Amino acid sequence: MKTLIEITDLTYKYRSGGGNAVTALNGVTMQVYRGEILAITGQNGSGKSTLARHFNALLTPGSGEVIVDGLSVNDKKNTAAIRRIVGMVFQNPDNQLVSSVVEEDVAFGPENLGLPQAEIVKRVDWALKSLDLEAYRYRSPNSLSEGQKQLVAIAGVLAMKPKCIVLDEPTAHLDPKGKREVLENVQRLNRDEGITTVLLTHSMNEVVHCDRMIIMDQGLIKLTGAPRELFAQAEQIKALGLDLPAAAQLAYGLKLKGLTLPGNILTIEELVASLCQLP
Amino acid sequence: MELTKNITLGVYLPGKSFIHRLDPRTKIIASGIIVILLLMIRSYQAYGAVFIFLAAAVIIAGIPPGYAFSGFKPMLPVLTFMWIFQLFLYSSPDAEVIFSWWIFTATDAGFHMGTLITLRVIFLFGITTLLTLTTSMVSLTDGLESLLSPLKAIGLPTQELVMTMVIALRFVLILAEELDKIVKAQMARGVAFDRGNFIQKTKKIFPVFLPLFISAFKRAEELIIAMEARSYTGGKHRTKMKTLHIGRVDLAAILIMLIFSALIIFLILTVNPTI
Amino acid sequence: MPIAVKDLCFSYKQGTPFEKKVLHNISLDIEDGEFVGIIGPTQSGKTTLAQHFNALLLPQSGSVTVNGLITSDPQADLISLRLQVGYVFQNPDYQLFAQTVGEDIAFGPQNQQLRKSEVTERVTTAMKQVGLDFDTFCQRDIYALSGGQKRRTAIAGVLACKPKILILDDVTAGLDPRGREEILAVIRDLHQKQKITIIYISNSMDEAAELAERIIVINRGQKQLDEPVREVFKKPEQLRSIGLEIPEVINVIEKLQERGYVIPSIPLTLEEAIDLLTTAYAQREVKR
Repeated sequence: MKTLIEITDLTYKYRSGGGNAVTALNGVTMQVYRGEILAITGQNGSGKSTLARHFNALLTPGSGEVIVDGLSVNDKKNTAAIRRIVGMVFQNPDNQLVSSVVEEDVAFGPENLGLPQAEIVKRVDWALKSLDLEAYRYRSPNSLSEGQKQLVAIAGVLAMKPKCIVLDEPTAHLDPKGKREVLENVQRLNRDEGITTVLLTHSMNEVVHCDRMIIMDQGLIKLTGAPRELFAQAEQIKALGLDLPAAAQLAYGLKLKGLTLPGNILTIEELVASLCQLP
Repeated sequence: MELTKNITLGVYLPGKSFIHRLDPRTKIIASGIIVILLLMIRSYQAYGAVFIFLAAAVIIAGIPPGYAFSGFKPMLPVLTFMWIFQLFLYSSPDAEVIFSWWIFTATDAGFHMGTLITLRVIFLFGITTLLTLTTSMVSLTDGLESLLSPLKAIGLPTQELVMTMVIALRFVLILAEELDKIVKAQMARGVAFDRGNFIQKTKKIFPVFLPLFISAFKRAEELIIAMEARSYTGGKHRTKMKTLHIGRVDLAAILIMLIFSALIIFLILTVNPTI
Repeated sequence: MPIAVKDLCFSYKQGTPFEKKVLHNISLDIEDGEFVGIIGPTQSGKTTLAQHFNALLLPQSGSVTVNGLITSDPQADLISLRLQVGYVFQNPDYQLFAQTVGEDIAFGPQNQQLRKSEVTERVTTAMKQVGLDFDTFCQRDIYALSGGQKRRTAIAGVLACKPKILILDDVTAGLDPRGREEILAVIRDLHQKQKITIIYISNSMDEAAELAERIIVINRGQKQLDEPVREVFKKPEQLRSIGLEIPEVINVIEKLQERGYVIPSIPLTLEEAIDLLTTAYAQREVKR
């Protein structure tokens, strides 16, 4: 079975402060494939966080269906099983770390699963090693950089051995170095451990490294495809209030000025290579 | 302006001292015993003994004494108010009047009552601070959970209660840091927190709380979702990575506590209460 | 209102076991009408430094002089100093105190006991400066605002105090591309049209490159670089070594230069890069 998460015609409404019902998702149909890195992007308020919170049953559908690894989110009995399959990392590490000791925090998830003590220790060792955090094992998260804190949050999810990790804007508040640390580790876990990854982000430079991307707007999926295909449609992307990756944007501008460049440049390296081939 | 500087309650100061190495249960029970003793003490002599005991503990734990005391600074106005309140309100028939002015009369009984009650609050605060300074939040919870576990039999959600306490304590520091930012944001827009009389100052404090509470609720909400996403469903099926052990240091500590308690009880029984 | 910082040192929790030195002997000057970017990784000390500019923090050693006023002087009128040196914080949730946009923006002027008509006039002007329509937004509930609108309200609240210097502390964090563009446009306008001195604090070089005239790089509490913006990007290795990133447009030029192409200058914005490259290719000057 190729599909890990299957979403059909999902709608979700929530009550605003004034008591009005606001439609956050308005008929979303999509899939997350096993082993891929999928980027979900869109402006703030486009519904991407609401969508992602259905992936591990933090929200249940207003209408429509969400099937995770054969289990329906609509059925409350599946909730515990689904949360073992799909782990979630949030934007602000300070608001998701429970413990004041790194290893204790990583153990929090496995402890909740009711695993035997020896297995918890094994998993904590493994998760800390996978993310190169062993040196900080007994430290307080408060003494770490923001990027390292976010890695601790990822380790805490990893220790639950999920098939899929959903990251909700994990780099939004990080500095460039922290961003790089987090992204490189996410990519490595996907490659080495085969963990299906869903990355919610505003940064198009991050999207470039994903296998597939979904662009959302006003509770709907507007575009789906490989980043290279979608970024070739510069006007459409801009109309949805998003940027192109820097290299693609530069290539687009140069083409408008009459330079003949290929239509699907994504990275700096590609742009430089194409520029060098110009007559 | 540094608001968090003087907060010592809920802060953990890592170390390897005798007191740090104790099983959290030993420390919690010892603190509990001292609290009970404090509530029974009515003489300066007994307070002196507790003071010597706590001072020794602070030194053994390697806590800089100046830092241990700095936690009292923010409490000074409240303590002073409490003392004055008792000074004028409490009296006994055979009390000697120290001075009187208008409708206020201060007696020696009021003076002693105020002093003893203030001392009691200071010591209660001191023992709690000592406990949190030498015990990490994590082992504090483990200890509490283990101590409270018999209550599970009567249907008390002990694990949930303990988790709530840990998070509340953890938020003390986070909220203090946040308060610092909010106060600075208001100062940056012309609020003079250090000017004006008591009422004017109090009035200025109110706008600070709105953003503080909103932020606290937001954080709490996010934390709950994050905990839920990590399969937290309360204490029921939880297991633990670490188990607690009573060791030799604990036996030594228990012995010391027994001797100390005997001494205090002896003082309570033999020395005439000041009040 | 020039700012002069001399040998500034600062430690948090001074005198406690948690003492942490955050600023080491920093000296710098900021002149009237400048647009200065203060750039550094998180926890590098840039916020601590900037909070000395409007006396939210006072120097533990060294001095900060704003418009001739020494902030650590006990006689100094810090209240009026803080109004003249406005500070917009990173997270708008910490600095919006009132129920509605209008009430919040009025907070500063009201603290100065201004007449009601003057307060209204200040609110109207400030809202106009940040591009919030008075009729639409004045009565709007703060918590019904988008992230970008919240930040603009926060900026307006500071502008209503009529500052001569505006410190913006990481004001675009967490915004989506559209929200960020809106804020940057407002800031550019304040500097160019209102002639307000801008001190722009960020951990990203991209925005600083587009906006600032001069960049001060802070790392581990020390000043690493203090140069006009184009000069800073002539030292890409130094920036990378402290974990900062070079704007992508500059990366392209750098890579082309590595391949032996001659490109006359460093672009700071996308438009500049496009112009630079098209002209270069049109004149075929690129090839060695």
